[in-house]
Amino acid sequence: MQNHVGIERSREAQKQQTIKIRPKWHMTVLHIVYYLIMVVFLVFYMLPFWGTVMTSFKTNSEVMTSTPITPPTEWTLEGYSDAMEELGVPLMTSLVVTIFGAAGSVFLGSICAYSLSKWKFKLNNVFFVALVAATYLPFQAILIPLLQTINTLDLYDNVWGLVLVHSVFGMPMCTVMMRGYYADVPDALVKQAMIDGNGMWAIYRKIVLPNTMIATITTFVFQCTSIWNEMLFALVLGGYDSKPATIALNELAGTMAAEFNVQMAGSLILALPVLILYIFMGKYLISGQMSGAVTAS
Amino acid sequence: MAAITIKDMSVSYNKGKSYVLDKLNLTVKDGEFCVFLGPSGCGKSTAMHCVAGLLEPVDGMIHFGDELMTEMENGKKKTFVPPQERNIAMVFQEYALYPNMTVRKNMSFALETKKTPKEEINKRVNAMAQMLSIDHLLDRRPAELSGGQRQRVALGRALVRDPQVFLLDEPLGNLDAKLREQVRYELKKIQTQLGITTIYVTHDQTEAMTMADHIVLMKDGHIMQEGTPNDLYDHPSCEFVAGFLGTPQINLFTAKVVEDGGKLALDAGSFTLPVPEDMVECLIPYAGKQVHLGIRPSDLSVTESGSIAGQVESIEPLGDAYLVYVRVGEQVVVVKHAEEQAPTEKDLQLVPNPAKLHLFDPETEKRINI
Repeated sequence: MQNHVGIERSREAQKQQTIKIRPKWHMTVLHIVYYLIMVVFLVFYMLPFWGTVMTSFKTNSEVMTSTPITPPTEWTLEGYSDAMEELGVPLMTSLVVTIFGAAGSVFLGSICAYSLSKWKFKLNNVFFVALVAATYLPFQAILIPLLQTINTLDLYDNVWGLVLVHSVFGMPMCTVMMRGYYADVPDALVKQAMIDGNGMWAIYRKIVLPNTMIATITTFVFQCTSIWNEMLFALVLGGYDSKPATIALNELAGTMAAEFNVQMAGSLILALPVLILYIFMGKYLISGQMSGAVTAS
Repeated sequence: MAAITIKDMSVSYNKGKSYVLDKLNLTVKDGEFCVFLGPSGCGKSTAMHCVAGLLEPVDGMIHFGDELMTEMENGKKKTFVPPQERNIAMVFQEYALYPNMTVRKNMSFALETKKTPKEEINKRVNAMAQMLSIDHLLDRRPAELSGGQRQRVALGRALVRDPQVFLLDEPLGNLDAKLREQVRYELKKIQTQLGITTIYVTHDQTEAMTMADHIVLMKDGHIMQEGTPNDLYDHPSCEFVAGFLGTPQINLFTAKVVEDGGKLALDAGSFTLPVPEDMVECLIPYAGKQVHLGIRPSDLSVTESGSIAGQVESIEPLGDAYLVYVRVGEQVVVVKHAEEQAPTEKDLQLVPNPAKLHLFDPETEKRINI
């Protein structure tokens, strides 16, 4: 509290000391130039998105006759309903794979991170280096043996096969992310919990997890986006029945080359969940906000 | 409640290449307030962590009463009771309050783990909160408390469990001077009331002197001296102990034992002191040799005809006394002058209390006059 008051006071003092400086004319010109450059970049980045949105609301015939960036003369949801016909089931598949895959990898990663950061054992560092190395592993390199393994397990073209693969391959990244957060939980807290009569598992459940909820959410959101957008495993292991939405969207582009409105609507439908997730969870993804929440003292 | 016995305990972090604690032997009596005192890095916290079971020694045994808690031999565990089963309570310097729990929950956490009945938990928590005057804070979270309040919650959390051993690792380190004094008093009062065997780790000699029944003064993994605060202050076993306890620090001189008219005297170059009768015998082997002479600032007084002459360099008023810095030869000597008036003359003479001279062997640094 005292600290807080101190900061308030120094801010006031700063305000009083600040002398208002009238910007010189050449500074104003420079600012205008900066803003112009930024506007150009903004247009550059937003134009494709704008085109996608506009096209998705057009009829197929209007797509053929107009430029992509002009707004539709007649607004229609035709493209969306057509896209949903193709994407409906794959979207559900994607949802299941994403939620369970992310939950699985976060759960495994969290346990690994906890034992690596809070319990010193032999080869502790070796395990950590191996996990970091695993995050750099190109998936293409292990694709064939992975396919064979999944086949042997009778999980090819099975949603749960994809869930398993994402849980396992997401684990190293989750471990590396969460280990950093868990390192912020003071060791004294863990020792105190031990003295208060708790074992390793109870400390994880009662002390470490509740104090690092934001870390868990952050990692979960991160995992969700990467699994939702993932194509390689989906393509190789997904088959026909357990086809995730990314593959279905790709097929949409391949089979109905002319129906741009449907493709654009499909892209937007696929992007929507990630967009919503970022809007609501975005603030947690800024890791800087973590520090104050976790420290004990 | 239980006595703590440590036998031949050694701790090493590098497989025996060097020892943080080397063959430590110690007994803390049942209900005693024992302070581990020493400069940082002396192994006092390490010793406490071993007692808590948070750290495994390489060798040695730890008993709580008759119960064997730790028995290690050459790094191999023979018996090791994990910390959660030792029925100890500990307060860390950083308090380590669980940030996700309210004060009440923090205090009841250990009891809940032990599956104590709810009514019993409430009764104990309320009683302890009242005792520490934190009963109005029970529904707050640690982040909403001030340093002193957090400190009291940490104490309450430890005491509410009725542990057999109470361990405190520099618990007052984060408090300001005034609060520290107040909590020191409260802590000692509660400990006496509850009679729990307590180990308290600190590097602050004032804390040790004021609170301890038993001080264990450590340096480089060894016990330098243990005993009551007065024992250590009045009869330091070596120069280190003499220098570590007491503010301001003890004045040390190098003096030669000379014969002066058939009697032994100490010649420090700038002054000569006659050797008191009771010290003559132990100084005979040192005749013609050098010894180190220690005189505490409070054992020196300003007189008109003393044996040590010097010039006042500066005077620091303490309120009830003055610290007078006097140049004697090449050395500056501190005198605690407990009079109403500070000495006014620049040149003055000092006389030591002959019964309170401390003599040390210059080589071994051990005490000569026993």
